Amino acid sequence: MLVHLPPPWNPIFGRLGLILHYRYNNPMIFFAFELVFVGAAILLFWLTCTRRWHTLWRDWLTTVDHKKIGVMYIVIGLVMLFRGFFDALMIRTQQAMAVGPTAVSFLGAAHGYLPPFHLDQVFTAHGTIMILLAVTPILVGLMNLIVPLQIGARDMAYPYLNAVGLWLTATAAALVMIALFIGDFSHAGWVGLTPLTELAYSPGPGVDYWIWAVQIGGLGTTLGAVNLLATIIKMRAPGMTWPRLPIFTWTSVATNIIALTSFPVLTAAVGMLALDRYVGTHFFTAGLGGDLMMYTNLFWTWGHPEVYFLVLPAFGMISEIIPTFSEKPLFGYTTMVLASMAIAGVSWSVWLHHFFTMGASPGVNTYFSIATMLVGIPTGVKVFNWLFTMYRGKLHFETPMLWAVGAIFLLISGGMTGMMLAVPAINYIVHNSVFVVAHFHNMILVIVYATFGAVTFWFPKVFGFKLDGRYGRRFFWSFTAGSLLVFVPMYLLGLMGMTRRLDYIAHPAWYPLLLIQVVGIGIYILSVIYFLGMLAVSINRRETRRVGADAWGSARSLEWATRSPVPFYNFAVTPVVHARDEWAWRRERGLTDLRPERYVDIHLPRNTVVPLVIGAFSLVFGFAMVWRIWWMAACGLVGVIAAVIIRSFARDTDYVVPAEEVRRLEEAAARAPRPDTATAAAGATLPPHAQPSVRS
Amino acid sequence: MFNRLKNHSRIARLIVLTPVAFLGGCADRPFWLFHPHGPVAGAEFHYLIADVIVLSAILLPVTALLIWVLRRYRAAARAPHDPRWTHSTRLEIVVWGIPLLTVGVLAYLSYQGVFAVNPYGPRVLARAAAPERAAAQVSAEPGAGLEVDVITTDWQWLFVYPSLHIASANELVVPTHVPIHFRLTSATVTNDFFIPQLVGQIYVMPGMRTEQSMIADRPGAYHGIDAEFSGPGFSWMDFKVRALPRAKFEAWVRRAEHSNRRLSFRTFARFARPTVNLAGTITRFSKVQPGLFAHVVAQAKAGKAYPTPYAFTEDMHEAKFLRHAD
Repeated sequence: MLVHLPPPWNPIFGRLGLILHYRYNNPMIFFAFELVFVGAAILLFWLTCTRRWHTLWRDWLTTVDHKKIGVMYIVIGLVMLFRGFFDALMIRTQQAMAVGPTAVSFLGAAHGYLPPFHLDQVFTAHGTIMILLAVTPILVGLMNLIVPLQIGARDMAYPYLNAVGLWLTATAAALVMIALFIGDFSHAGWVGLTPLTELAYSPGPGVDYWIWAVQIGGLGTTLGAVNLLATIIKMRAPGMTWPRLPIFTWTSVATNIIALTSFPVLTAAVGMLALDRYVGTHFFTAGLGGDLMMYTNLFWTWGHPEVYFLVLPAFGMISEIIPTFSEKPLFGYTTMVLASMAIAGVSWSVWLHHFFTMGASPGVNTYFSIATMLVGIPTGVKVFNWLFTMYRGKLHFETPMLWAVGAIFLLISGGMTGMMLAVPAINYIVHNSVFVVAHFHNMILVIVYATFGAVTFWFPKVFGFKLDGRYGRRFFWSFTAGSLLVFVPMYLLGLMGMTRRLDYIAHPAWYPLLLIQVVGIGIYILSVIYFLGMLAVSINRRETRRVGADAWGSARSLEWATRSPVPFYNFAVTPVVHARDEWAWRRERGLTDLRPERYVDIHLPRNTVVPLVIGAFSLVFGFAMVWRIWWMAACGLVGVIAAVIIRSFARDTDYVVPAEEVRRLEEAAARAPRPDTATAAAGATLPPHAQPSVRS
Repeated sequence: MFNRLKNHSRIARLIVLTPVAFLGGCADRPFWLFHPHGPVAGAEFHYLIADVIVLSAILLPVTALLIWVLRRYRAAARAPHDPRWTHSTRLEIVVWGIPLLTVGVLAYLSYQGVFAVNPYGPRVLARAAAPERAAAQVSAEPGAGLEVDVITTDWQWLFVYPSLHIASANELVVPTHVPIHFRLTSATVTNDFFIPQLVGQIYVMPGMRTEQSMIADRPGAYHGIDAEFSGPGFSWMDFKVRALPRAKFEAWVRRAEHSNRRLSFRTFARFARPTVNLAGTITRFSKVQPGLFAHVVAQAKAGKAYPTPYAFTEDMHEAKFLRHAD
């Protein structure tokens, strides 16, 4: 062992002996255990009873179909979103209970019910999960789903790599969930503050869980970025020139350039931290030549571009939804593309604004302050362009539109507070306060709103039926009410002087606003129920909710020019693109008939189990590294390498769907009863918004 | 029926009035940032207001325009529909011009502000050397002030007054109207020094020295905060700040000089052991060994750490938290 570790350690079990020291009698852990394992048991039981194991294996676990991979990414993201929400619930209730020296105190806490040992893990997990394992997978999933369809591709450029990325993300999520029960999770915030994350101040396995979850998940995202860029550059359908690229695909280009160039920085930074903890180097220690602020610099060199990695696709989604429900093309397409690229470009030169208070010289702080403000220019342009898209439009407030408009309002308020934080003189009094926390939640809510809008918008494309609008609207309004009640008080508390990550609230003056936040989070619970209700009702009544190719009747881009749900080969024949808004172009000319003149053979990638195996071995590797079980880590690593090598010898990796088979499938689909197939064809003259929506 | 309504209204009144009672009972001015009591915090608040005014001038009309468009062009309103209108060079210039202009104004404001409240020599302090302040100087030399060395441990604050050879743990006492110059370092991990009503934040980092300056304009008690998360004892790591008129401050110094707690390099090592300051204990030290600050910096550079025990705060009902270890 190269570093000094407190015992126990032995060659067979590594540090696993440590778990004997945890107090597992805490009812909160018990409740989490119940929720996860009883939930999993019910799921397994249901799979067995309904004999779905084979389907699960063939259609999902071994698939390389970009749509299914996208759906699985989104499912992972939603599950982790739920977990992250529970963490938020605990933070909010703990803070509301731990006010003043006479606050209640139980379960080992000095105030409230979560001692710092637990709360610190909870807020670290909340941040890590929400950014890296909830929002990122959902966005990557949506890009996976939609980008190949928008450019008329059969699949991603590297379908096998795509599945590898998915299973690495799943591994990262699994590691974070395992940390809930075996050992502890990092306590040092999602940013991994050095030197707090060094062995002296974090002797447990928690930081190691965080390190390996971030490393494995980050690798998955980097591979995904390579894949999406290659797909967009090389796999566009004939006629899909760059100036005709749908705006969401454009933002995907910008965002994946960010991911490809910034994620390696994170990998390097966290890798050096891992070396400190495993090998005893001194990259980021306080002494012996270490430079702890270098870690902070490197982390945010990734961290800030990561924020734009998240927000750019969200801007793309808003830019797709608003024209559809305004019955008008996007205003200022070229400007929008330029603005996206400008945001991506500036994103690398603003990282220091996360630590203006480090004590850098005035010149440095001025530079980063102005660079940060520059981001406001293209963002402001985007807001104006959405506004002018709706101007002289015909606005239909279906659920996706509600989310998109909500996102614009949030962007205005988040932009306002962002421009305040960009001024160092102001930043000095609100840095590390809950004002900052409210600001970045405000911005992340922009992303969440756009994402919920996008999920509702593209859901019928992927599954062939619409989500229930009544429940969708209830979900939207309760979510909005919850957001306001949580984050408006949070802004105010920041102006009162409240700082973040507190386990104990010393000032009773903050209590009323903390209480309002608890009410807000209660309304969030209601919105979760409406969300689940929306899914249940929509799935139950899916037969009455079927849609044609163009689910909304006024959609514009190429993905709407194929059947809903999209067949596994995406397009019966590779489409030829004539215009920027291809489907709108075809609809205006009455070319909405999806039947091609003749069918051709379709060449597709074959399912493979290798990505799943790679994911499983990397989980073994990650877990073994956390507990320093060296033999097991070696097995995991050898397993991954062997799987990659064996796969490289596989020759039978693709197959052909004969033209006759495509014809049979297409004609069968065309014959299937669809309540509103007619609307899709007649969409040009009579959009379905004008008709009462289908309700049974 | 009537009774039930009456009950409801009583409950409603209780719900509405409880927070108000809290607001009134606990702090007369809960918005610390809006009530600065020193020129540095005052300047920071001034920039906050200026920034909000500039931004509101742009964002409020945009929000109003957005709401108007949403109402005017909803499908049911049957407003003119023009699906061909997707480009206008004039408007493009406006939509790039407005944010550009705003950012220009704010950038200048920001540039000014950076120098006004620069922790290594805030311009506002130089300006604040007004006659009534000069009259109250501790030192005979105008412009000079009181030096305070700030050392953080896990999880306590130590304020050393090197010229007076005294120190105070978890309480900062300063004379009013006198420029206070802080040198800050940490014995363990990064912390963040923040007194909302007096001065903005500055990181306190191990093996490094940062600086900060401030003046307290009015006597009073203020709250000092550690703003950067620093481990399990972080939430209890705030400190009291008292600004005293000169005579009272000197009386306080004399009391501290008589404290029987001494602070040497050796006793500092005992003080710096991980301690959760649950009780908010304040300690005064006399006869502080000269060079303590430089000693702490040098030790941190040489790799000295004060390790946190494993799962330290899993159960805070344990006896170790109930007593205060120095």
